[in-house]
Amino acid sequence: MKLRAVREGVILIALAFLPAIGEGIYFRDKVSWQSRIPASELVTVDQARSWGDSAMWVDARPDEEFSRDHVPGAFSLNEDHWNELLAQFLPNLSRDKRVVVYCSAESCNAARDVAKRLRDEAQLKDVFVLQGGWEEWLKKSK
Amino acid sequence: MAEEEQMKFFWRIVDLIVGGIFIYAGTIKVLDPVRFGLDIDNYKTLPWFVSVRLAFYLPWLEIFCGLAVISRFLYRGGLSILTALIAVFIGVTIAAKLRGLDITCGCFGHASEHWSFPQHMAVDLSIFIALAALWFANELQRPAVQQ
Repeated sequence: MKLRAVREGVILIALAFLPAIGEGIYFRDKVSWQSRIPASELVTVDQARSWGDSAMWVDARPDEEFSRDHVPGAFSLNEDHWNELLAQFLPNLSRDKRVVVYCSAESCNAARDVAKRLRDEAQLKDVFVLQGGWEEWLKKSK
Repeated sequence: MAEEEQMKFFWRIVDLIVGGIFIYAGTIKVLDPVRFGLDIDNYKTLPWFVSVRLAFYLPWLEIFCGLAVISRFLYRGGLSILTALIAVFIGVTIAAKLRGLDITCGCFGHASEHWSFPQHMAVDLSIFIALAALWFANELQRPAVQQ
């Protein structure tokens, strides 16, 4: 009985590989396989700092974290108050500048999500996610 | 005898509901594997390169197992895998909650995006109980089915 269940399970596990591989091949160019965010959309702290005034900093962390501390000159733009904060951000936006979005750390999602929304909703092209986020910024600032 | 038939009919309905749930959940994820990869990655349990590959594989496994439960072909294998999947999922969801992670599972598309932790648990435990019940029912019915 148990052996039969195992045998059937192995067949199902093997069968599921076939369409999964096919789908993987179909999506091969649309997925970032090695990192959550494609390398082309990431920027290091050093690189972003070297852009100087041609970079606009966007803080995607919650309001209270932004109030505590943030990158000098950064705008707060998080998804909790998206419409309100976007309306405040857009008048300050210069289309020829690069936008650098950051959240708390390497593992947070907020910067990626905000960057995506800026590309999709505000039609911005040069939007980057800060590698390591605020945590990395603090480390480099010591 | 009539009672036995009624019970068989009842368990077939449970088969269809449970199998259907997994086919539905799998299909939603197949349509947007990247989103599902991000959902897996949000649990902070696996590295991204594993999460993204699982995101392409697991939905198909759910669909195949759901079909197995509905069609009763490779039935026990399907039930075993689905039970294991839901048990692992319940485990990692509880672990994520304990670690203070705010998880959006997206298991059932947009419908589940704003479910609270108790809602997630209620649905997952119901499915787990239904799968376990199907196991026992299948064991009890087996001699009759094999005739």
